[in-house]
Amino acid sequence: MVGLGVWLYAIIDWSMVVNLSNEPGQVNLQTSDKPTLKKFERAIVFTVYFLGPVILSFLAGLGFVLLRRRGWMLASVAQALIMLACLFFYGASRPWFVYPIIAYCILMILLLNSRSVRAVVHRRPLTPAEARTEIAHGE
Amino acid sequence: MANEESMDPRTAEDLLRRFEPVIRFTKGEWFYPMDCEPYVDACGLWVKRPDEDAVCVVPPGELTLERIAQQPDDTTGAVHYLKIPNPKEDENQGRRAGRARRSHTNPDWPKETFRAGRGRLARVGYISRLADALFSLVLLARGRVPGGDVEGGRVLYGRFMEKGERFKYHGHVVRQDGWIVLRYWLFYAFNDWRTNFFGANNHEADWEKIFVYLSESESGEVRPEWVAYAAHEETGDDLRRRWDDPELEKIGEHPVAYVCAGSHATRFSRGEYLTELAFPLPRAFAAIRRILRRFWYVTLRQYAEEGYREKAYEQFTVPFVDYGRGDGLSVGPGQDMEWDPPRLMNPLPSWASGYRGLWGLYTQDPFEGEDAPAGPLYNRDKTISREWFDPVGWAGLDKVPTRSEELEVITGRREEIEERRDLRRSELLEKSSRLKVLGMEAEATRDQSHLSKLHENQTQHIRELSEEVETLRSQLSDDEVLAESLENHADSLRNGERPPARAHIMHAARPVSEAETHAGRVAQLWASISIAVVLVTLILIVAYERQHLLGVLVFTIAMFAFIEASFRRRLSRFIVSVNVGLAIVGALVLLEHYFWQVTVLAVLVVGLYILWENLREFGR
Repeated sequence: MVGLGVWLYAIIDWSMVVNLSNEPGQVNLQTSDKPTLKKFERAIVFTVYFLGPVILSFLAGLGFVLLRRRGWMLASVAQALIMLACLFFYGASRPWFVYPIIAYCILMILLLNSRSVRAVVHRRPLTPAEARTEIAHGE
Repeated sequence: MANEESMDPRTAEDLLRRFEPVIRFTKGEWFYPMDCEPYVDACGLWVKRPDEDAVCVVPPGELTLERIAQQPDDTTGAVHYLKIPNPKEDENQGRRAGRARRSHTNPDWPKETFRAGRGRLARVGYISRLADALFSLVLLARGRVPGGDVEGGRVLYGRFMEKGERFKYHGHVVRQDGWIVLRYWLFYAFNDWRTNFFGANNHEADWEKIFVYLSESESGEVRPEWVAYAAHEETGDDLRRRWDDPELEKIGEHPVAYVCAGSHATRFSRGEYLTELAFPLPRAFAAIRRILRRFWYVTLRQYAEEGYREKAYEQFTVPFVDYGRGDGLSVGPGQDMEWDPPRLMNPLPSWASGYRGLWGLYTQDPFEGEDAPAGPLYNRDKTISREWFDPVGWAGLDKVPTRSEELEVITGRREEIEERRDLRRSELLEKSSRLKVLGMEAEATRDQSHLSKLHENQTQHIRELSEEVETLRSQLSDDEVLAESLENHADSLRNGERPPARAHIMHAARPVSEAETHAGRVAQLWASISIAVVLVTLILIVAYERQHLLGVLVFTIAMFAFIEASFRRRLSRFIVSVNVGLAIVGALVLLEHYFWQVTVLAVLVVGLYILWENLREFGR
């Protein structure tokens, strides 16, 4: 997705975009070329929609290494947000790239929700009360 | 009741006293088990006939136990009921009520007041909260016990206690199916669950029960085997516990029961119980919910480990908490208060058998929750109650022999099976030899054109006979396995082994865990205001965001669901549900856009898979 974002920015013809701001550190862009404007808008919307989930996915990756359960939770939330963003995109302009992302999300959701992953991630020690119940039932 | 017999009063009383229960109440309980006679003496008897106003047929002060047995002015459709007199109608009400209140604050009396724990609404979801709100609204429209009646009941009970703090049960002993059943009927002047303990209902008078089941040896020695406690309208196996069940607390030979505040439902363990009032859903909603549940649990295999069960009928439930904390007064042998000698119901007194009416106000509540109960023998509709005519079956014990009968039952059954096996063996022998003869005949008539008809008949006969022989062999095998199992079971019983004490329990009521009870105050606050906030928000969205109605509604509902899931510690489950839902929508989007490509790809994948499987087999 980062690659997709970079590509969306890369295909913009930056020679058609002018920075109107004179202040250092400030950006005020303008273009009179309609296709460039469209590409630019699309890249910005993509950033707005997907920056959060991408950061979350990155944290989820770290989380999987450090804290299994939290990592799983972050990854699941990230998938939900990406999917929602795709559905919003789909409802608005139906760009071609939402389809592969949706397919990827479906696969990830299936993976995260698979029994084997859940068994590893949701495993927790029994509380003393539960342990007692188990023993009582086993008698 | 052909297999039921009563017991002589002296033996009955001895047994009742020997195994009488210890009852532990919750702090703040107002009403305790009492003798029904002073209650009846204080009440008036009323009759409500169809399409007529209720009339008082015996005014308060003139009613006695003997008189209610006559059930005067009985006609078709008439409902007889007792009514606690309104204390305001009493000239000396103020003075008496004051004295009654003082009796409750007597130093000997438990001075503790009730403190509710975690709000019941924090323990359930939005749907149940909405149902609860509707239930409260409906209560305004349907019949209910007026608020002042609770105080009337309290004043009345205070007067009884003023004359001496007495705690009494009504005892009846009966023999049924080899069991001796000790029936302890507990009479309370009032059920104030709704008013004082945020419960489902109030009603004047309350009859609760505890049954102890004894077996008798040949020498006449009795042994306690099972105990059943009544809780609301529950019946069956889940009501009873075996005498050696660790859940059943005992002090000597006295079982300990925890009575829930206000409702007087009786429990085996101390704690707070979530009691759900169930209302069946309309058929269409029930069908939709069943389909969704099956799709979720069975098709998508979500949380299959929790064990999906098809419900007989889908229903709304409204949650209420039964507080059976056992931290209040304890009544029973060696406790804060001792039982008075019981009011014995052997032989059956006329007030119990003759009066079929209600023991308190008839509110005409369509759900019956606010109507007073009938006496120990009857249901509200005047039919005989199961706990009276079939106390063994009521607790699901009709399929359980007493310990002294166990081996006898097994031996009897084994003899039956042996007899049946002998018969089947001889039948099998005869049919097998016939089958052989037929087989030989069929061999002899094969490939002879003039005997083809005969050969056909023989083949048909052989087929039928073979099936019969197969069935017989299968039945014989089953009998052998059954006889062996019975023998093993008999051996283990002879060795003093007992089957698991809790094997019969399917859905035991269990107290809410401590972790669930001590939830944060924010969660409780949210539970209290959530339904109002959700409704107001939805109305605002419909009023002011019509342009983006669908999007905003989806977002808002998702946010509320997210908040709720966080408070109820079900966040991961919620996220899984959302993800699966989104994945389904996403899959539909892909299918809509790439229908042919997806179809071709699917066929290709299936083809490749079959090819791979076949080649693998070929390569071996």
